[in-house]
Amino acid sequence: MEDTADAQSTSVSSVDSGNIETASTASSSSPTPPERQQQMPPPPPPSNTSTLDPEKTYQDLEAWLAKLTVGTPLTEQEVKNLTSLARERLLQESNVQPVPAPVTICGDIHGQWHDLMELFRIGGSAPDTNYLFMGDYVDRGYYSVETVSLLVCLKVRYPDRVFILRGNHESRQITQVYGFYDECVRKYGSANVWKLFTDLFDYFPLTAVVENAIFCLHGGLSPSIDTLDHVRQLDRVQEVPHEGPMCDLLWSDPDDRSGWGISPRGAGFTFGADVSAAFNARNGLQTVARAHQLVMEGYNWSHEGSVVTIFSAPNYCYRCGNQAAILEVDEMLSNKQFLQFDPAPRRGEPHSANARKTPEYFL
Amino acid sequence: MPIPMDVDPVDDDPRPSSSPLSSPLLLRTVVPITREEEARQAIELLRGNDMAERVAAAHRLDAVAAILGEERTRNELLPFLSDAVDDEDEVLLAMAQALGRMIDLVGGPTHAESLFLPLELLLSVEETTVRQAAAESTLFIASQLSESDYQSCYAKMIARLATQEWFTARISAVGLLSQAYTSLRVEQQKEHLEFYANLAKDDTPMVRRVAAQYLGQMVQNVVRATGRSSLSETGSVVTTLLPIFEEFSSNEQPDSVRLQTTENCVAFGQVLSEVDGDLNESEQGLLKKVLPLILATIDDRSWRVRWTTAAKFSEVISAYGRLPDVMDSLVQGYEKLLQDPEAEVRTAATFNLAHVAKGDAQVLVPPQHPERLVKRVTSLTEDESEHVRAALAMVATELAPILGREGTITFLVPPVLLLLRDAASEVRLNLISSLSALNEVIGVDLLSQSLLPAILDLAQDGKWRIRMAIIQLIPLLAKQLGQEFVSEKLASLCVEWLGDDIATIRQAAASNIKDLTALFGTTWATEFLLPSIVDIRENESYLRRLTALQACSMMATEMDSDSARIEILPLILEMATDLVPNIRFNVAKELQSMAHACGISAYESQVLPVLNMLLEDEDRDVRFYAEKAATALDETFAAMDALIK
Repeated sequence: MEDTADAQSTSVSSVDSGNIETASTASSSSPTPPERQQQMPPPPPPSNTSTLDPEKTYQDLEAWLAKLTVGTPLTEQEVKNLTSLARERLLQESNVQPVPAPVTICGDIHGQWHDLMELFRIGGSAPDTNYLFMGDYVDRGYYSVETVSLLVCLKVRYPDRVFILRGNHESRQITQVYGFYDECVRKYGSANVWKLFTDLFDYFPLTAVVENAIFCLHGGLSPSIDTLDHVRQLDRVQEVPHEGPMCDLLWSDPDDRSGWGISPRGAGFTFGADVSAAFNARNGLQTVARAHQLVMEGYNWSHEGSVVTIFSAPNYCYRCGNQAAILEVDEMLSNKQFLQFDPAPRRGEPHSANARKTPEYFL
Repeated sequence: MPIPMDVDPVDDDPRPSSSPLSSPLLLRTVVPITREEEARQAIELLRGNDMAERVAAAHRLDAVAAILGEERTRNELLPFLSDAVDDEDEVLLAMAQALGRMIDLVGGPTHAESLFLPLELLLSVEETTVRQAAAESTLFIASQLSESDYQSCYAKMIARLATQEWFTARISAVGLLSQAYTSLRVEQQKEHLEFYANLAKDDTPMVRRVAAQYLGQMVQNVVRATGRSSLSETGSVVTTLLPIFEEFSSNEQPDSVRLQTTENCVAFGQVLSEVDGDLNESEQGLLKKVLPLILATIDDRSWRVRWTTAAKFSEVISAYGRLPDVMDSLVQGYEKLLQDPEAEVRTAATFNLAHVAKGDAQVLVPPQHPERLVKRVTSLTEDESEHVRAALAMVATELAPILGREGTITFLVPPVLLLLRDAASEVRLNLISSLSALNEVIGVDLLSQSLLPAILDLAQDGKWRIRMAIIQLIPLLAKQLGQEFVSEKLASLCVEWLGDDIATIRQAAASNIKDLTALFGTTWATEFLLPSIVDIRENESYLRRLTALQACSMMATEMDSDSARIEILPLILEMATDLVPNIRFNVAKELQSMAHACGISAYESQVLPVLNMLLEDEDRDVRFYAEKAATALDETFAAMDALIK
């Protein structure tokens, strides 16, 4: 029942924006382009108690997914509709989002859209395969817009099959330095899309726990957090802070030295095997699964099996020469299989339709 | 500047590539200027300090001219523009493009001369893109001129450019000269040829480089204008252009000039090939002089020159292939390129392998060269560069149709076998992808006999794309090898692929199962494939179970209705109670695509109850796909029902 209510409330916004769209196009004399016609609201369903239309949302999502799986970015208006749908969905998820097994756990993607497609070729396509992504979808690679749009779209279309967490790059500050901001301006002619996405990032869950046994998060543990309940108590809807528990979850790294250490990254901490063993024992966990660090094999066990690092961007930054990996966890949690893969062979990059759009200031 | 909100910024985007022809006046004037006041404003903007505004104003010059009228455009606007050519490049670019659209606005072709005034200046500026845009506009205007205007004012402008002091003007002159040649009077042609000859000896290497670029066009235009006599001993090709070509190819020239040698050589070859009948003495003399020049590029000191020849060797072959007595030396030269010290050169040469062999086979002399080339292939399989071997693997099988069946078996199969076992995966993959060319010549029987062991090795290859290529080859092989062979050697392999770690392989394997079922029939499939698939249904990984489900469903669509209902349908329906929702909603998906194969009574008695259960599932995706399947099947069976009645 909760689901229906959700779908209905989300479609309000999309129908509303559809109305605005039609009004503005009707005032101009030019004929309505076909993609705008699609966005026009359908006649309200007659018998329903409300005038809301989940069917429209479903059709939008399918159309967006069709574009994004061939590498075509959404229009600014579509991003606006998508992010508002996604906000409604993500708001319902917990800071420690429970995720059922079986699921395939993935690490950093970093705008390498072609390699994300390769990941789906290796692991299977959604929704047939369940996925949990542990953050860092944007920056560094050249296709952050396409990558994050696709993952968010999958999340909204298949909320029970796809889970996305927040990484340290899902932040306003970091994306201005490492590429996402510039890419948005280049592809859309303004920072609006960057603003829409970074506003949405505030709603991404910080962590997830698979069948109460595998604790998944982007960075690592925090000295201010002893139990999963501490994480649940955080107010996550904000920009990633410079310090404190929320920052640590997205920034920390495991280390060979025991106890807590100062992180060379300037944010978060390093934590030793003793810390992770104690944390797992206290919370009844098998393992901490995290991403955040480049590992040449794509995955790396540390802390005597208490922590595993998964990194899913092959040949990171198009030059690191690393393999990528994903972790398939089966329904009994008895089998954990890593699949490694190399970059997708690229024969000519797809034309980006918005790349030639000239910024306003050119006038 | 007043810009209405509905103007798409893209429309004002300068597009240097588009010719003036493709951007008609109407498209450009998105901002209508209707009053003289606004024209004056635009000119003010052109004088202003804001560069962006000057660019925008320059784009709208044609609109301004339309308001001013023909006379004032000629007498005021164009002279004003001629004073403004010291502006930023972006403004000049827009101006050069706008001028190409203005021929009607100055009063038609008879007044076109007034446009040449600013264009001539733009053709002399330093920035290449501006000169190119100006040249495009100039050529377009020139094409509208009457013959007498063309031969007077236009020819004179070219002459002025060709003798100007600043070298950029002379660069523009080269391009215009070579295009104009055929439209000039005979005595003018002589004069222009002289200009060209002088430019080819220009002190500035940049001018010589452009002259080298246009030499081929010059040769062709001279022959077109003067006919075969230009190729005689006193003809201008031999007396003027050949020495220039020899000069361009000489070692004293910089690399950038020598780089053009191959293409120019192709041009000479083409004019010689187009001669009717046999070559006369002087033409043979010309050929004897040109040929050493192309052969010299093969030994050039610069690898870029050698690379250009290697990459364009198919064009050389096309141009010279029909001429007598040249193939021998060309093939020898080509063999040298295949052994070049630079891997890039060898790679580029390798790509032309089939073309050279084919061109040679067309010559009437007995073709021994293909076999010679095949010997090269054998040595290339041991090339130290992976890229060379990968290129070879991509094209080697193209030699098969040229060699014929016997030749292929004797000469080509051994190196192909070596490539199939190459250490580099890209090499193996390229070869497998091109195997069908070989198959067409020697027949799949022989192919499988000699290659099957290697193929079976590759079926276990560590690279998934190679396994993929092999799977895609299986239906073709199976068809030729026959049922018995497949049952013995391939069936277990085909089922094994269903359990591959890589999702894409599992899917391809499922669709391969479908193809085999279609090929060998229901009984065979239930005996040799189905038992193992039934086992995979019990696998503890939901992704493997999913593959088994998909394979079952795909098999069913190729079976007769009874077998589909009895053998397959229960297997699928059982999986509707799987603990993992992904399996349950895929049961719904698969029922949607296969239930029609089981008949309407099975649908009502067996499928519908399961679908109804799935419609009540706790998972929303299961409910979604069940609903979709129910609706679709309802329609399908209603249609079938109607058809029967």
